[in-house]
Amino acid sequence: MRFAAGVDVGSTQTKAAIVEQNAGPVAFAIVDTGASVTRAAENAFNVACREASLQPADVGFVVGTGYGRYKIAFGNAQMTEISCHARGAHALFPNTRTVIDMGGQDSKAISVDDNGHVLDFVMNDKCAAGTGRFLANAAEVLGLGLAEFGALSAKATHPVKITTVCTVFVESDILSYLALGKKPEDIVRGVHLAIAKRTVSLARRVPLEPSVTLTGGVSRNEGMVAALEEVLGVPLQVSPQAHFAGALGAALHALDRVDASFESGVWRTAV
Amino acid sequence: MNDLYVTCEDIISDIDFKTVRDWKDRTGGKAVGYFPVYAPAEIIHAAGMLPVGLAGAGDRLDIQHADARFGSFICSIVKTTLELGMTDHLAAFDALLFTSICDSARNLCYVMQRNFPEKYVDFLHLPHNPSSPAAAEFLASEYRRLSARLEELGGEPYDEVAVLHAIESFNENRALTRSLCDWRAERPHLMKASELYALVRAGNYLPVEQHTEMLVAAGAEFEGRAAKARDSIRVVVEGAFCEQPPIDVVRIIEQAGCYVVDDDLTIGRRWFTEDISTDGDPMMALAQAYLDKSVYSSVRHDFRKPRSQGLVEKVRNRKADAVIMLVAKFCEPAYFDYVLFKQELEKEGIPHLLIEFEEKLFTFENLRMEVETFAESLLFA
Repeated sequence: MRFAAGVDVGSTQTKAAIVEQNAGPVAFAIVDTGASVTRAAENAFNVACREASLQPADVGFVVGTGYGRYKIAFGNAQMTEISCHARGAHALFPNTRTVIDMGGQDSKAISVDDNGHVLDFVMNDKCAAGTGRFLANAAEVLGLGLAEFGALSAKATHPVKITTVCTVFVESDILSYLALGKKPEDIVRGVHLAIAKRTVSLARRVPLEPSVTLTGGVSRNEGMVAALEEVLGVPLQVSPQAHFAGALGAALHALDRVDASFESGVWRTAV
Repeated sequence: MNDLYVTCEDIISDIDFKTVRDWKDRTGGKAVGYFPVYAPAEIIHAAGMLPVGLAGAGDRLDIQHADARFGSFICSIVKTTLELGMTDHLAAFDALLFTSICDSARNLCYVMQRNFPEKYVDFLHLPHNPSSPAAAEFLASEYRRLSARLEELGGEPYDEVAVLHAIESFNENRALTRSLCDWRAERPHLMKASELYALVRAGNYLPVEQHTEMLVAAGAEFEGRAAKARDSIRVVVEGAFCEQPPIDVVRIIEQAGCYVVDDDLTIGRRWFTEDISTDGDPMMALAQAYLDKSVYSSVRHDFRKPRSQGLVEKVRNRKADAVIMLVAKFCEPAYFDYVLFKQELEKEGIPHLLIEFEEKLFTFENLRMEVETFAESLLFA
């Protein structure tokens, strides 16, 4: 078997990647997760197979990752999104030493070695600050779409100071600034900077060494990328495939096992 | 799951203390609850009373009173133990005993005294400097004071032979516990950490003789087991010596790709590394054992040997690959030691993971992801 796949079931979107031995990624697919994690995983995998002109049976090994990894009916093994983002980020940028993964419901900082293996990691704790959910809430309060919200940040001239990174209370901050007549772009930039500071504080708990690669859905928000770069003081590596990093990493882990004698589920109990 | 472990899980999660009530109904004796980590159960047993190791209320009780009496930065077990009292769940206990494990526990003793004047609530001073020549005599005098107070409470008068017999009973129980722990370290794929945990902790709520019978039965049952080992990392779990994690946390650590080859969960039940002497004055023997035969612990100071060295020895002896520091939120002794442990583990090249828990945890997905990632980082490096 020359092909392996990774399926990353995220809280908002489900991504799939197919890789070929000695050739790298051959297809990516993304679908909304919706109510059925199992169906979303199947859909994403099938779309990726079509994209690569393959039948599902042509794929020798599938690793599932993301919060819905144990619900993927056809997966051969599961790995966490931390292991997969590390591997995926390393594949996208082999000089990666720190990965910041900002997803829909959580954010993580991962320290990796020169093979893309996890050395250390830290996750945000019971709080939406630094996640896509936080940004989506802030955008909603301002009546902006997510794409618009990210782009508007660049137009800011006098970013406001956001005093809270609480998803619930940020709404009062935003409304207060609107009442004071502050420009939406300055508020948006303030929100991005507040989250960037929070995320960088988290990342400093692992050795925050260059080069830093941003992965996860939030990497598509250009305002967030700019704010993170400003707070970090170094440029971030952001690939157009950054939101596929988890799926790609899972596919690469799967590729390791296509030819190896590997017994599904031997290292842990499925739940 | 075997009936024995179902029974043990029922016992450890019962905040109405049915086993204690049944024992009192049966014997007419009195029950003494002791807060973790260690208490000289032998002295309570010799007084004809039932020593019961308290361990908070787990996820079984909503806090409605304790939050009004303690700051928000106090750990769960202190709050839920008070809450147990405020909601009449400690009615079966005639006495409550505390020791100097941390500031919160120390203060809980006096909060209990104020709130429950009808109970005998006492604080046992365990020596902080085992190197002092006066330490053994000091501790023996504390034990004699305790014995006298139990007699005043209606216990049997102090009888040297009764204490020696109690020491023998507890020695037997601890030796069996140690041997089950050794057996588990050799064959962790045959004995789940959650099973051993429930089995050992159940002893906190039962007469020692009854618990010893359970350990014997469990040992025989384990010997008959056969299963294929998974490809998992061998870990020492350290830090949950007082407040206990939900049993699902213990399960998740194993499900996530780890074999627990040693831990310090309910460490009070295997506090001594070898038998306590049954020669001579039993109070001195108990005191001397506390000073010289105790396990290393974050709540027992011993300048003769750093605790971090104890942890590294445990890792080496158990042939563990890594350490999971499982620390209760706001647990000062565990977090203070974490710094020392982390430095030593890194010096020795032993991988480690810190995870935090509270008594009340109902979703475990983040915790599962952390442990799975840790296991993956070692298995597939």
